[in-house]
Amino acid sequence: MKNRSSSRFFHSKLPYLLTLPIILLVVMLVVYPISQAIWTSLTDKTLGAAVGEKINFVGLRNYNSLLHSSTFLASLRITTTYALLNVIFSVGAGLLTAILVNKKFKGRGGIRALMTAPWAFPDIASVIIFIWILNSAFGVIGILNQHLPFDTSGGWLTSSPYAFVSIIVMSMWKTFPFYSIVFLAALQGVPEDLTEAATVDGAGPFQRFKTVTLPSIRPTFVLLALLAFIFAFRQFSMIYLTTGGGPERDTETLVLAVYNTAFKYYDLALSSAIGVVGLFVTFLIAVAFLALQSRAEKSNS
Amino acid sequence: MAIVRGTKLSNAIRTSLRYFVIFLVSLLVIFPLYWMVVTAVQAPEVTLRYPPVLYPIDPNLKGFHAIFFEKQMGRWLINSGFVAILTTLLTSTLAILGAYALSWFKWRGKMAFGLMLLFTQMLPEALIVIPIFKIYSNLHWTDSLATLSLIHAAFVIPVGVWILKPAFEGVPKEVNEAAQIDGCTPMGVLRKIIIPLCSPAILAVGVVAFFASWGEYLIAVTMISTESKYPASVGLASTMSQLDTPIQTLLSGAIVYGLPPVILYMFIQRFVISGLTAGAIKG
Repeated sequence: MKNRSSSRFFHSKLPYLLTLPIILLVVMLVVYPISQAIWTSLTDKTLGAAVGEKINFVGLRNYNSLLHSSTFLASLRITTTYALLNVIFSVGAGLLTAILVNKKFKGRGGIRALMTAPWAFPDIASVIIFIWILNSAFGVIGILNQHLPFDTSGGWLTSSPYAFVSIIVMSMWKTFPFYSIVFLAALQGVPEDLTEAATVDGAGPFQRFKTVTLPSIRPTFVLLALLAFIFAFRQFSMIYLTTGGGPERDTETLVLAVYNTAFKYYDLALSSAIGVVGLFVTFLIAVAFLALQSRAEKSNS
Repeated sequence: MAIVRGTKLSNAIRTSLRYFVIFLVSLLVIFPLYWMVVTAVQAPEVTLRYPPVLYPIDPNLKGFHAIFFEKQMGRWLINSGFVAILTTLLTSTLAILGAYALSWFKWRGKMAFGLMLLFTQMLPEALIVIPIFKIYSNLHWTDSLATLSLIHAAFVIPVGVWILKPAFEGVPKEVNEAAQIDGCTPMGVLRKIIIPLCSPAILAVGVVAFFASWGEYLIAVTMISTESKYPASVGLASTMSQLDTPIQTLLSGAIVYGLPPVILYMFIQRFVISGLTAGAIKG
């Protein structure tokens, strides 16, 4: 698409006025809270600290203890694993299903509408369903359990590594349909004459995919991988309400660590320090996203 | 090999294989939702049977009755609706202004503004919900549905701007020039030309904002403490944590709370996709 934005009105104060309300809102609800989080992370504040209680400035002590905290390092590992598995499985499943429904067939519209369902379904409602399906006494998963070669009697949400597997499956159920729809839109943009030419040249389906389809959907692929990563990194309520970060702290991703450290272990300062690390990661992701975007814009023009 | 691939028989096999996989995937996608509906109307003693009964026997609506009359589902849905409507109004108004500035003007700070939006959009709420709570409880602004929708709006405005920006950019330049010759001010152009021409995208922003707020849990549970002020997400989660709640009641709640967004989203798919993918990269 040709970029014909900007420059329709020059030299005007209007854009500043137009964006002022958003800037105010973001300063109030994002920037100022972040500054508070950074400040708190440099103190020894606890959750129960009374108003006016003396709070000591401790410099980088909290960050130093994070570096030596095995639970924090574990939560970084859990977050990364969770995010990467989300990218691999959800985006992978999205691509596969998109290729499947890309050809015209009866009922395709219906299938596509259906694919929207899990993704539009609110987190809390999904959690309720999965807790019931995975219930160790009465869940419908029981049918499957007895045929599995491993022992799941500790419960799908209450024993390791099944709790982790469960949250991956849940996130996959919720997100891959969305990726599938986006891939489908991209696949339909693949020029048909190219595919035909490749067929005439004797290319099989896999070769066609490798030489024609894949290059033209690569930007979508990269974008969705990044989105899946962000989704996983942000995900709070689905993990929190199913496993709470447990068993032990085996499913405690970074965002859960922030919450649990404050509300379960009452260490507000340490929680803020973890939060600041998370903010830094967010910033890196945003920059990566921008770099990707400008690269795509360049290749478009 | 190449000859076999071309035959009618192998084509038929491939087609049926394709249908089979499609069927299987659809089944996996739809089963949790199907199971929710079946269990919600199932008699309690049937849900405790093993092996599980996969279809309803003697369906009844007692769960729906219980979630509305033993719990306060009606109240919670109204609260969710109120917060979501306020969020929608705020988001669409501010996103229209922001997208206009981004798409039709050249100004210093445009890049920084875009980066700020992107950062806000990607920011996990869990990272700053505690400082937000601390700040606004000192001002006695917490436990208020209006404050909640203000926070929801802050997080969903970026998505709204990304949905509207490409739509606004799609308005032909000539229309604008003609309007300016006719003496239209920049705000007049926005009001009389861009908004009417882009009303589908604006509607999409409204729906996205509504259901982002409708589905949000973490900020709501942190900010709202009075039970009669609970939005449905918080009400349902608290019902879930009361372990003696019958599963029929809980799943009936999930249905009345969860299905409306599903139905509406099916209609606006297209817009949402372009908005969430930041409208920049098209395959």
